[in-house]
Amino acid sequence: MLDYSLKKFAQLFVTVFGVVTLVFFTLRMIPGDAASAMAGETMSGEALGALREQMGLNEPLGRQYFDYLQSLITLDFGHTITTRIPVAELMAKALPVTLSIALLTILLTVLISIPLGTVAAYMAHKGRTRLDNLLTSFAMIVDLMPSFWTALVFLLLFSLTLGWFPASGSVSLDDPAAFLLRIALPVVVLSVTQIATMARITRTAVLEILSEDYVRTARAMGWSEFRVLFRHALKNAALPIVTVIGLSFGNLLNGTVIVEFIFTIPGIGNLLITGINSRDYQLVQTLIVFYALLFVTINFATDLVYRALDPRVSF
Amino acid sequence: MADETTELRTRLHLSLPAFSREGMLANAKVRVALCILLPILVLTAFAPLLPLQAPLETNLRAMMQPPSVEHPFGTDRMGRDVLARTLEGVKVSLLVGFSVAAIALVAGMFLGTLAGFFGGIADRVIMTVVDIFLAFPSLLLAIGLVAIVGTGLVPVIAAIAMADVPRFIRLQRSQVLSLRARPFIDAARTVRASQGWMMTRHIIPNTVAPMLVAASIASANAILVEASLSFLGLGIMPPEPSLGNIIRDGQTYLQQAWWISTLPGVVILMIAFSLHFLSDGVREELDPRASK
Repeated sequence: MLDYSLKKFAQLFVTVFGVVTLVFFTLRMIPGDAASAMAGETMSGEALGALREQMGLNEPLGRQYFDYLQSLITLDFGHTITTRIPVAELMAKALPVTLSIALLTILLTVLISIPLGTVAAYMAHKGRTRLDNLLTSFAMIVDLMPSFWTALVFLLLFSLTLGWFPASGSVSLDDPAAFLLRIALPVVVLSVTQIATMARITRTAVLEILSEDYVRTARAMGWSEFRVLFRHALKNAALPIVTVIGLSFGNLLNGTVIVEFIFTIPGIGNLLITGINSRDYQLVQTLIVFYALLFVTINFATDLVYRALDPRVSF
Repeated sequence: MADETTELRTRLHLSLPAFSREGMLANAKVRVALCILLPILVLTAFAPLLPLQAPLETNLRAMMQPPSVEHPFGTDRMGRDVLARTLEGVKVSLLVGFSVAAIALVAGMFLGTLAGFFGGIADRVIMTVVDIFLAFPSLLLAIGLVAIVGTGLVPVIAAIAMADVPRFIRLQRSQVLSLRARPFIDAARTVRASQGWMMTRHIIPNTVAPMLVAASIASANAILVEASLSFLGLGIMPPEPSLGNIIRDGQTYLQQAWWISTLPGVVILMIAFSLHFLSDGVREELDPRASK
C-alpha cells in the first residue's frame, strides 16, 4: 500500500510539475507577449515598458521560470494587473463560495440519486422494467442538457416566473440564510445533471450485486427486502459509487464556472471569466493551475481510497 | 465498386453491417437517432431555401416577436429570425463536432498506437504528456486555451480537440496493449510478420470500431462545449450566430422573450441526444457482445 501510494504520489508530482510548466510556457507563447496582449491598444510605449518590467518579462526566460516556481511554492501569486489586489486575497474570498456550491451539490446528488438508483436496480432485478426504462431514458436526456441552458430554464421558471429564489443580490457568507437561498438554484441545476449520472451508476452497481449468491442467502435467511437491498446490496455496491463521486468532480468544477457566471455568484469560476475578459493573465494563470491542482489531488485521493477500501485490489 | 468495398472490409476485419434492414437500420436506436438527426441536417442544408429572413438581417419593426407561422422560433431584440439564426448555428455546431472528432480520432490513433505498440521511451513521454493534459477539467482546459489563442471558429475547434486528443490516445493505447497480448499476434510473430505488417493489418483494424464509437460521443460533447464557450463569450463571437451565443443573447430578455434562449437549447439537446443514441446503436451492432 505504502509503495503504491508513494509511486502514485511521485506520478502526481510529475503531473503537477508538468501542469505548472505547461501553463507557464503556453502563456509565454502569446503573440507579442503577455504585457502587450494585456495592454491592448490602450497603453503607450512607456507604460507598456513599465508593465513589462513589473511582470518580469524583461528577465531571461529561465530566470522567469525559476522565479515563477519559487513564487508558487511560497504561495505568492502576485497582484491582479488592473486592480492591484493580491490574487491570493481574491481567491480566499471566492473559494469558500465555490466550495460550498460544490459540496452542497455532492450532498444533494447523493441523497437523491442513491435511493433512486437502488430502487431502479431492484425493479430491473424483479423484471418490472417500466420505472427502470423511464429512469434510464430520463438520465440520458438530463445528462445531455447543456448546463447553461438548464440553468437559464430553471432561472426562468423558479426565479423569474414563480419567484421562489432570488435571481440576483449580494452573496456573502456572513448571512448564511441569504447565502443559501442565493446558491440554492445553482446547486439544484448542478445536481440535476449529476443525479442522472450517479443514479445510473448506482443502478448498474446494485443490479450486479443483486444477482450475487450472498444476496440470495440473505433473502433465504428471511431478511426483509428493504434490509437486503439497503444493507447488503447497497453496502457492497458502495465502492464504485464512491469512486464515481470522486471522478465526477471534474465535471462539477466545469459546471460551477457556468452557474456562477449565469447567477452572478462571486466564486472562482466567475473570477476566471472576469480575468479572461480583462486579459489579466496573472489571475488566469493562477486560477487554471489551481483548478488542475484541485482536480488531480481529488483524483489521487479517490484512487487511494478505492484501493484502501477494496480488499480485492492487489498492489 | 461493390466488390472492392467488400474486399476492403474483409481486409480490414471490420465487417461493418451494411446500412440495410438487416444491418444498422434494424437497430431501433439507430433509427430513432436518424429520425431526429436527418430532418435537422436537411433543414440546415436547405435553410437558404426556406421562407425565412436571412440570419443576420434585422427588422426593427418586428423586435422580440413570439413564435408564429412567419417566425417559428420568434424574433430577437433586433428583429432577427431566431430559427434562421439557430439553423446557421447548427451548421457551426456540426462543423465543430465533426472537426473535433476527426482530429481526436486521427491524432489519438496515431499517438496511441505509437505508445502502445512500441512502448519504451515513446510510451513514457506520450503518457506523461497525456496525464498533464488530463489534469485539467475539460471545459476549463478549453477556456484556458481560448484565453490564449483567442476566440473564433478555428481556435475553438483547436481548444476542444486539445482536450479530447489525450482521451483518445489513452483509449487507443489500452486497446493496442490488450490486442498485442492476444494469440493471433503471437501467431503472426511466429510466421515472422514484420512489425509494420502486424500493426497495420492486425492491430489497427481491430481498434477502429471502438474508436469510431468514442468519436461520435466526442462530437456530441464538442458541440456542448462549443455552445458553453460561446455562451460564456469565449467562443464564436456575435453577430456570427452559434447556438451558444444566441442563448447568451436571449439571457437578458429571458422574462420578456423566453423563446430566444430556450428553443435553440432544445435543438442542441436533440443533436446531442441523437448522436449519443447513434453511437449506442452502432456499438450494439458492431460489438456482438454488447447487450441490446
